[in-house]
Amino acid sequence: MTQLPPHSEALLTQFIEIRPQLLTLSDQVYDLLRQTFSEQGIELNTIEHRVKSVDSLKGKLERKGDKYKTLEDITDLIGLRIITFYTDDVDKVAAIVQQLFDIDWEHSVDKRKLHELTSFGYNSLHYICREKGGHQPFEIQMRTALQHVWSAIEHDIGYKGAVKLPPEYRRQFSRLAGMLELADDEFSRLRTTMVNYRRQVQALVKSGRLDEVPLSTDSFNSYLQLHPFDRLNKRIAAVNQAEVFPASLTSYLPILEHFGMESLGDVERFIADYQEAAYQLALSQLAITDLDILSESVGLQNLCFVYILKKGGNADELRFVFDTINGQQPSNALLADNIMNLAKNLKM
Amino acid sequence: MKTSIELQGDALIAKLEGRLDTAAAPKTEQELKPLHDCQGKNIVLDCSQLDYISSSGLRIFLGVLKAAKPKGSHVYIQGLNADLQSVFAMTGFTNLFEFK
Repeated sequence: MTQLPPHSEALLTQFIEIRPQLLTLSDQVYDLLRQTFSEQGIELNTIEHRVKSVDSLKGKLERKGDKYKTLEDITDLIGLRIITFYTDDVDKVAAIVQQLFDIDWEHSVDKRKLHELTSFGYNSLHYICREKGGHQPFEIQMRTALQHVWSAIEHDIGYKGAVKLPPEYRRQFSRLAGMLELADDEFSRLRTTMVNYRRQVQALVKSGRLDEVPLSTDSFNSYLQLHPFDRLNKRIAAVNQAEVFPASLTSYLPILEHFGMESLGDVERFIADYQEAAYQLALSQLAITDLDILSESVGLQNLCFVYILKKGGNADELRFVFDTINGQQPSNALLADNIMNLAKNLKM
Repeated sequence: MKTSIELQGDALIAKLEGRLDTAAAPKTEQELKPLHDCQGKNIVLDCSQLDYISSSGLRIFLGVLKAAKPKGSHVYIQGLNADLQSVFAMTGFTNLFEFK
């Protein structure tokens, strides 16, 4: 074991004494960050936090102990890493960190700005922070998930080690780094495109121009926010004064597509044309029971049944609805037969 | 109405036997309460010996589902007879649960 010089030994002893306090501070900062990002609606890949281990600090003091006068000069005793999904979010996260803590700008580094125009590589934003009015520094690193992957691989390969890589391998490294950087930017762009598309769809849905909105998962979800099946559900629920339990209706999308519906306008007409028959079918099933709890899917489910029956469909096609909703199982044939029998009595 | 819960492998199996009507619901609800603390284990509601289910019974199943889902557990229903399948179908509950 290497014996540390007396000054370094004193720093290490002091660190061991205050380590429990550092652990508490690390947890507090982590909780504050997590809570703030959650309140701001920023989705993160992860937040990591740690307090340096005694062995790790000892190693650091062995290498460059004379660089530090006091323990506070070692700014990464507490380290946190915020990993975002998108490059745009790194700046957003940084702005929040600036609001929450005092930043030591002299020792903070934006590695994203350090690169030469012709080089690529590890991009990360490092802030040395203190709690407002506090004295204990801690380091917060902010980067995207892809930058994090890059950093981990770089570390594993030992790119920054003592042995210099031959030029051909350095070039290969730079190409890969460039690709990751490009992928990061493209993911951000894709997110912006998707957000814009959703806004457009929502605007069309709100303005009632439903024929202009192609049927898709996004558009159907926007449409569902208008509660298009509520009126029918309320009528059905009134049969037994039932409570309607919320349910996801997105699993019905493949069924509507199977029916050949291409726009939200088609779905709107489907509801208008078949809701009376759907109500009658639900009524024939529920009126002879005292069931007073229903799923929100009850209206749409009966709409699908009557659509098939009115189009002259058979039990196999009804079974397709059950197979899609319940997953394929033998009992679905029986359920389809039950609906066929009910339909006969209703003369559909 | 008889209820039992046992751990089989990584799943909690709740066996229900008899008629789960309004009268039997409070006791059954108490007996199934341990499922709410499923800690991410999947739950199978074995209904192969269940003869009848009322709205109160459906609400108990929903209670199990609501407690289990946030913990990452799946709730499967197994062995429904033809009448019970009809109840699940006509209420739209087939859309809420997974079936085995």
